[in-house]
Amino acid sequence: MAKDLGEQNREAFARYKADVKKEGKPFFPFAMYHDTVMSLVVVCVIFGLAVIWYLDADGVKPGILGPWYTGPADAGTTSFVPRPDWYFYFLFYLLRIFKWPETVFIATVGIPTICLILLIGLPFYDRRRERRPLHRPVAMVAAILTIVSMAVLTWKGATAKEALGSELVLLVPSWAEEQGFQNDQAAVDGATLFAQSGCLNCHIYLGEGAGNLGAPDLSAVGKTNDASYFVQYLTNPAAFGNKVMGGYAYLGQENLAALGAFLAASDGPK
Amino acid sequence: MAKRSSHGKLVETVVLRPLDWTDERTAVVRGTKWFLLRNVPRDSSWMQTLGSAALTAFIVQALTGVILAMYYEPSSAVDPKTGDPIAYSTIVTITNDVTLGWLVRGMHRWGASVFIILLYLHMGRVFLFGAYKYPRELTWVTGVLILATGMLLGFTGYLLPWDQTAYWATVVGINLNGTAPFLGPWLAQFLASGPEIGSSTLPKWYSLHMLLLPGALIALIFVHIYLVTRLGVSSPPWSKEAAGRERPPVEQTGARAGLVRGGGGD
Repeated sequence: MAKDLGEQNREAFARYKADVKKEGKPFFPFAMYHDTVMSLVVVCVIFGLAVIWYLDADGVKPGILGPWYTGPADAGTTSFVPRPDWYFYFLFYLLRIFKWPETVFIATVGIPTICLILLIGLPFYDRRRERRPLHRPVAMVAAILTIVSMAVLTWKGATAKEALGSELVLLVPSWAEEQGFQNDQAAVDGATLFAQSGCLNCHIYLGEGAGNLGAPDLSAVGKTNDASYFVQYLTNPAAFGNKVMGGYAYLGQENLAALGAFLAASDGPK
Repeated sequence: MAKRSSHGKLVETVVLRPLDWTDERTAVVRGTKWFLLRNVPRDSSWMQTLGSAALTAFIVQALTGVILAMYYEPSSAVDPKTGDPIAYSTIVTITNDVTLGWLVRGMHRWGASVFIILLYLHMGRVFLFGAYKYPRELTWVTGVLILATGMLLGFTGYLLPWDQTAYWATVVGINLNGTAPFLGPWLAQFLASGPEIGSSTLPKWYSLHMLLLPGALIALIFVHIYLVTRLGVSSPPWSKEAAGRERPPVEQTGARAGLVRGGGGD
C-alpha cells in the first residue's frame, strides 16, 4: 500500500492548504507587521552604512568603509591593485589557486558554472519529503561545507597580500645582486619599472608578489626566452594565447626594451 | 439617520463604484485581497521576513538608482572643467556638491551589499526549512536567478564611478570572462566593446546596469512573489503546529484501547 512520492507530496500539500485555511493567520496585518518592522531595520542599516562611509572617509582618503572614490580611471597606470566588490572575493581568491593559462578557466568559468547548476538543480535532485534539518544529514553537511568554504575564500580574498610598488623598488639592488645583472643598466631600469608597475600584483619574483590570477613565478623566466621575445609578449600577451594578462604596448619601446632586458637577465638566483 | 444614509451614498459613489468598475475590468481588487488577506501558517515569524527584507533593499536600490541617473553621465571623455573623465566628475559632483547626493550614492553603494547579504540569508533560511521541496521547486529556481542577476548588477555597477578601483577590477573581470571556452573571447569583446576597455564600454555597462538587468530582476521578483503567494510559505519543519503536519493514526488496540488517547503529538 506504499504510495508513490508524487501522491504523498500532493496529499501533504493538500493537508498544508487545509491547515493554513483553518488554523492560519491572515498575512495582513500579522505577517505584514513583521515584514514592515524588518524592512525598516534594513533601511536603517543601509542608511547607517552610508553615513558611516561618508563621515569616516574624505575624498580619496579611505575610512573604515573605504574611500568615496579612488583616482580617476587611468589605463596608463599599472600600479593599481585590482580588487572586486566583497561578494566576488571568493572568485578572486579561487583564481590564485589555479595556474595560468591552461587551467585558469576552471576557476573563472568551470567552478562557478558547476556551483550555479548544482544550486538551481537542488529541488530536482533532493526530492525526499523530509524537511527537518536533523533528518537531512547530507544536506546539512553539504550546506555547512559550502558556507565554510565560501567564508574562507572570501576571507582569504579580503586579506590577500598586496604588493606596494614603493616598497618593492627598494628590493631592486638585491634582485640585481642575486641574479647578477648589477652592471646591466637596461636590466636594472627594467627591474625598477617591474617593481613600480604592479607586475607583482599578479606575478611572483624571488619570493615577492601575489601569485594572483594564476600568473607564473618569473624568478627564472630568462632561461626560457630572450629579450626580444619578452618585448613582443608584453606588447600583446593575447597573441601568445594569454587572455588574462593585459597588453603593455602603451609603456613605449624604450620601457619595453628595459623590461625585456630585465626578464632575459632573470635566469634564476645564483 | 438621513445623514448616515447620505454619507453611505457618498462612499458608494466615490469609493465603491469606481472600485467595482475597475475590478470588473482588471480584477485588481480581487487580486489585492488574494494577496493581502490570504492566510499564512500560524507559526510563521521573523525568519520568514528575509525575503521581503531583500525586496526592501531592492526598492532602495531602485529609488536611489533613479536619482543617481539624473546626475550621472556615462562618458569616459575628458571634462574640460575638471580635466577628469566626465563619468568620474559627475560621481565627484554627486558626492560633494549635490544636496544629500552623498547619502543617495552611499545608500545605493551599501544597499547593494545589504541586498546580496539578505539574498544569501533568505536562501539559507529556505534551505534550512527544506522549503524548496515540492511544490516550490520553481520558486527556488527563480530565487537563484534573482541572486545571479543581483550579482551581475553588482558587477556592472562597480565600473560606473570610472575610478581606478572600478577600472582595474573590470579589466580583470572582462579578461576572466575571456578565458571561457568557445564563447569567452566573444563575450570579452562584447563586454569591452572592442579589444580593450574604451569610450564605448561605459555606456554599454550603464545600459545593462540600469535597463536590462533591473528589468530582468523586476520580472523575476514578480514571478517569485506570485509563486510564493500561490503556494504559501512553509512552516518551520520542527514546529509542533506546522501546517501540513502528519497526523499519526490513533491506535486503539489491545487492553489500553480507549484509555490512552492519541499515539503521539498532543
